[in-house]
Amino acid sequence: MSSVATSAPAAPSANPILALRRAGPFFFVLALAALVYALIGPQQFANALTIGAIYALIALGYTMVYGIIALINFAHGEIFMVGAFVSLFFLGEQLGQTGPVRDLPVLLVLVIAAFLVTMVVVGLLGVLIERFAYRPLRNAPRLAPLITAIGISFILQNVVQIIYGPSPVNTPQIIAPTERFGLLGASIGYVNLFVLAAAVVLMVLLQLFVNRTRLGRAMRSTAQDREAAQLMGVDINRTIAATFFIGSALAGAAGVVYGLYFGNISFVIGFQAGLKAFTAAVLGGIGNITGAALGGFIIGFVEVTAAATGYFVWAQALVFTTLILVLVFRPAGLLGQQLGERA
Amino acid sequence: MKAQNRRNAALAALVIGAALIAIGYVVGLPPVVFVGALFTAGCAALLQGEHRSLTIVAGMLTATALLPVIVLIQPFSTFSSQNLWIDGFSIAGIFVLLALGLNIVVGLSGLLDLGYAAFYAIGSYTFAFAASSFTGLDFPFWPMLIAGAISAAVFGILLGAPTLRLRGDYLAIVTLGFGEIVPIVILNSSKYTLGPNGIGGISRPEIFGFEFPIQNPWPFYLAMVGIVTITMILIYRLQDSRLGRAWMAIREDELAAASSGVNTVTTKLLAFALGASTAGLAGVFAASKLSVVTPNLFRFDVSFTVLAMVVLGGMGNIWGVAIGAFVLYTIQSVILKQLNQFFAAADVPFLSSIDFIEYQFLLYGIALVAMMLLRPEGLFPSIRRKRELHVDDAGEGPTTTADAMGAAPQ
Amino acid sequence: MELRKLAALAVGTMVLAAACQAGAPGSPSAGASGAAKGTLKIGVTLPLSGGARADGAPALRGVELAVAEANEAGGVGGYNLELSVLDHAVNGKYNEQQGAKDMQTLVGDTSVIGAVGPYNSAVAKVQIPISNDAGLLQCSPANTNEGLTKPDFGALDYRKNFPDRINYVRVATTDDIQGPAMSAYAYNDLGLRNILVVDDVTTFGTGVADNFQKEFERLGGTTADRIGANADTTDFVPIITAAKEKNPDGVYYGGVVPSGGGLLLKQMAQQGLDVPFLGPDGIKNGSGEDEGALIQIAGSDESKNSYATVAAIGDFPAKAEFDGRFTEHFKDESDFKTPGAYSGPAYACATIILEALEKAAAGAADMAALREAVRANVTAGTAFETVLGSVTFDENGDTSQLIISFYKVDPALKNGKGDWVFIEQQDFGGAVGGAEGSPEASGEAGGSPEASGS
Repeated sequence: MSSVATSAPAAPSANPILALRRAGPFFFVLALAALVYALIGPQQFANALTIGAIYALIALGYTMVYGIIALINFAHGEIFMVGAFVSLFFLGEQLGQTGPVRDLPVLLVLVIAAFLVTMVVVGLLGVLIERFAYRPLRNAPRLAPLITAIGISFILQNVVQIIYGPSPVNTPQIIAPTERFGLLGASIGYVNLFVLAAAVVLMVLLQLFVNRTRLGRAMRSTAQDREAAQLMGVDINRTIAATFFIGSALAGAAGVVYGLYFGNISFVIGFQAGLKAFTAAVLGGIGNITGAALGGFIIGFVEVTAAATGYFVWAQALVFTTLILVLVFRPAGLLGQQLGERA
Repeated sequence: MKAQNRRNAALAALVIGAALIAIGYVVGLPPVVFVGALFTAGCAALLQGEHRSLTIVAGMLTATALLPVIVLIQPFSTFSSQNLWIDGFSIAGIFVLLALGLNIVVGLSGLLDLGYAAFYAIGSYTFAFAASSFTGLDFPFWPMLIAGAISAAVFGILLGAPTLRLRGDYLAIVTLGFGEIVPIVILNSSKYTLGPNGIGGISRPEIFGFEFPIQNPWPFYLAMVGIVTITMILIYRLQDSRLGRAWMAIREDELAAASSGVNTVTTKLLAFALGASTAGLAGVFAASKLSVVTPNLFRFDVSFTVLAMVVLGGMGNIWGVAIGAFVLYTIQSVILKQLNQFFAAADVPFLSSIDFIEYQFLLYGIALVAMMLLRPEGLFPSIRRKRELHVDDAGEGPTTTADAMGAAPQ
Repeated sequence: MELRKLAALAVGTMVLAAACQAGAPGSPSAGASGAAKGTLKIGVTLPLSGGARADGAPALRGVELAVAEANEAGGVGGYNLELSVLDHAVNGKYNEQQGAKDMQTLVGDTSVIGAVGPYNSAVAKVQIPISNDAGLLQCSPANTNEGLTKPDFGALDYRKNFPDRINYVRVATTDDIQGPAMSAYAYNDLGLRNILVVDDVTTFGTGVADNFQKEFERLGGTTADRIGANADTTDFVPIITAAKEKNPDGVYYGGVVPSGGGLLLKQMAQQGLDVPFLGPDGIKNGSGEDEGALIQIAGSDESKNSYATVAAIGDFPAKAEFDGRFTEHFKDESDFKTPGAYSGPAYACATIILEALEKAAAGAADMAALREAVRANVTAGTAFETVLGSVTFDENGDTSQLIISFYKVDPALKNGKGDWVFIEQQDFGGAVGGAEGSPEASGEAGGSPEASGS
């Protein structure tokens, strides 16, 4: 079981070798980013960062849940999908938005409201799922909640399909997708900038929450040793519920930005995105929040590089091959603790 | 009753039963078939727990004889004609094989494989390469059954060898990824696989120069029954062997199994390879029956359907899984479809607007969740599995119960 | 040991008995209704549920209309007609396995004298071997893949047992005509020279894109890039970015809208790649009011520069009259009340089967003979007067009407939501199609939801 829910890479360490080891993965990612940038140029690099940010947001939920109860929450990709639809329901159907909003204050209010509403609704959905589908099985064999999770993902997909139909649905792109600005010779959409900024802000908030608050500390201690935490007075059920709430809310946020960026969603987007985000979480070291974020961006790089170099049809296969290779050669991922090969 | 007497009685029942069934079919008298089936069923019951292989033969004989007759009775006869039922049964047999194979991996060894359709695809394409105009080869069907099984097993080992050291739930993801990769690779390697077009004109099985006809479903049905029977006997034997006990030991507690001298990696690898080879077998049969293979036939929905079959049937119980797969396939392909048409035709206000097939995966989802929460041992549990899954009810122990996914307790 | 031998013997007897049974397939039940003129069935095998319903339902309606009209007119050849409708969509997508099973159902029912369908070429590949073996006439309104019929493209694989007994015919023409037709249109009429070709890596999409690309290059155009985008692609941004550097003056999408055609067009507009968007019948799937339609997904203004071919006659003489009858007949249905692109062709398929039955009805001794006579009548080079005009079938079962219709999006239609309008149709087969086959026919607003074909 992974023992750290988060690592603080910049933390000063008495041991310089340890510090170097901790910083190593960051240098790796930076070097990779530089290489990718050189290979595909600024325009594609912006595309990669944007889609990578969405994967990263979804990956955070996977990694948090895995960190705390060692469950691969298969339904997490579908929670992201539900988030996209909740955002559509709120912005499109309740507020009647259809196209770009040019008035900046109004836009800001709309965006923040969409985030808040979606994150709360989807967060509660996550809590509900945990309460009724996973908690009763907490002491059951590990196969059992995994299968329940698959069942939940079928249910979520089909319920959305029944409500919104099998065809893809347009979502309001309140940030004009065609508005762009020049940067380093590339023309970047404001919506790209927004997606990246939103993701970074949420990640920073998450780090602060996990490291600085009481509940965050409870999460870390529960992840490390559930029984010891319980003995120290941590309310395990509440802590796990909170983890599900935050993880799901982040997936909901990913759903909001997905809708804003692509302007079109369908009930099937959760499966592929979930799988890729899971790959990202594993890549970064499952259970590790910073790792999940880095992993998301790496998946973005892999995909976009494949497309930019003419191997678009292989992009998916490449992502999953990456997953298998990482699991085989470095099962702990980039930032995860190297674990003994306990099967 | 003494064992010897019981055995003789069983034997007599089997012979009389088979003779009656044969007569019933030749003369075309369903009641005679019924009586014959009663005898064979009696034989199966008498030998239960004593002579496994013969029980299976007698049980399968009963089912094989009864199914074609049962479908002549209301309400089954209203759904479709006997020949079509038989055709459906041989496709159901494909899923029974897949479920039996996945059961080795998931049920017996406790390893979650979510990309099982990949091995089914490999078996199918093996036969497509060996007996179609695309390659110009025409290898006979029967040896290719084995070849398909072997090639799927080889891929199983190639995938399993590096990944089986991982924790159980990582394995689930690796296999899911593999299940995604295989259709993508087939799809995009047009030069070798004809890509999305798939390979057509695949040969049908032949026996003594007699090629299985397209329209008469009986030869495929009987061949399928034979394959399923042999597979079940083999799996039962495996389950009771040293290897089978090692699988279950790993499922229940890998650490304990390892410390009592079980080579966990080899044991798991064997489970993986044997599970894959069963899928390969099913793949060869399916390719030959459909005469076309395309990557579209092996998407993740196949993997998940088979998983649902195994879970609902009762992980670990060979008969349970086989029956689960058979029943689920029949419900899904015949009854759900007919319900749609039935309600649409009768114009029932609410029900006619529901598309039952549309909700298939919703139903699976609900069934999977409900099953895990209420009856994790499945509808037809194996005794051992039931005991294991209900360990909490027996004694309220600490949270460190045996872990079927093979993870060590914390 | 003894026990096992006897058991083996018992099983052996059983298998032998069953094999005897197998030798004599169950035909006796059929003979009963052969002599008395009763009810005959026309099979319909289409995807009819979930997301695929939009593909199959308009065609089903066409057949329903034809059969209803025939019955009102007192039946055909003394028989009443009914439909045997089978849906081979599983989880909302066409499924080959189910398609094969449904074809077994149809050939197994001796009162079925012909079948209309399927919609997808991939399903035809598993159905043709079965219907060919049984000698059941099958008429597809929408299949365009050339490999289904033409021996040069491997079609003999699908009629192995009776290569010369043609039982599968189609009223849509093939992709080796549909693809190149758009190439010529793009090169000559639109003046495009450097085209980005994207396909959805399906039997249909890759095939038609190959045909387009080959002809476009032969005409002297260049391919900016050829990209495969798997059918579940949602993020086209990186390939659009990559393509922009090669300055394409047009994009050809070989595929169907559910594979991502609409998303590609939408994202092209967002990324500022504002060039004509071309495609086969797969992208012409309804107006901006229809859920899941290209124009609806991409937006009417974004799709204003879109052109599509349909591998069937678009402006047939009786179109207005047919549309009227269709709309009147189905006005009380809950969906698909107006004709789609393949309603007319499906209606024509049914007409062809019924006309063949009319001729065959007198002479046939029993059901098997009737079925065979219907099949033989259709493939004997006979001309059929259908709603599409006069149709004959060649030695492979392909239609004589080698007509491709061209459509363009008019963003102002449907209250600004946009719809496809007919531009013209071109005849690639000479004069067989009749007067309406002249290359430059008048434009006409085809204001109806229409399905994509493959």
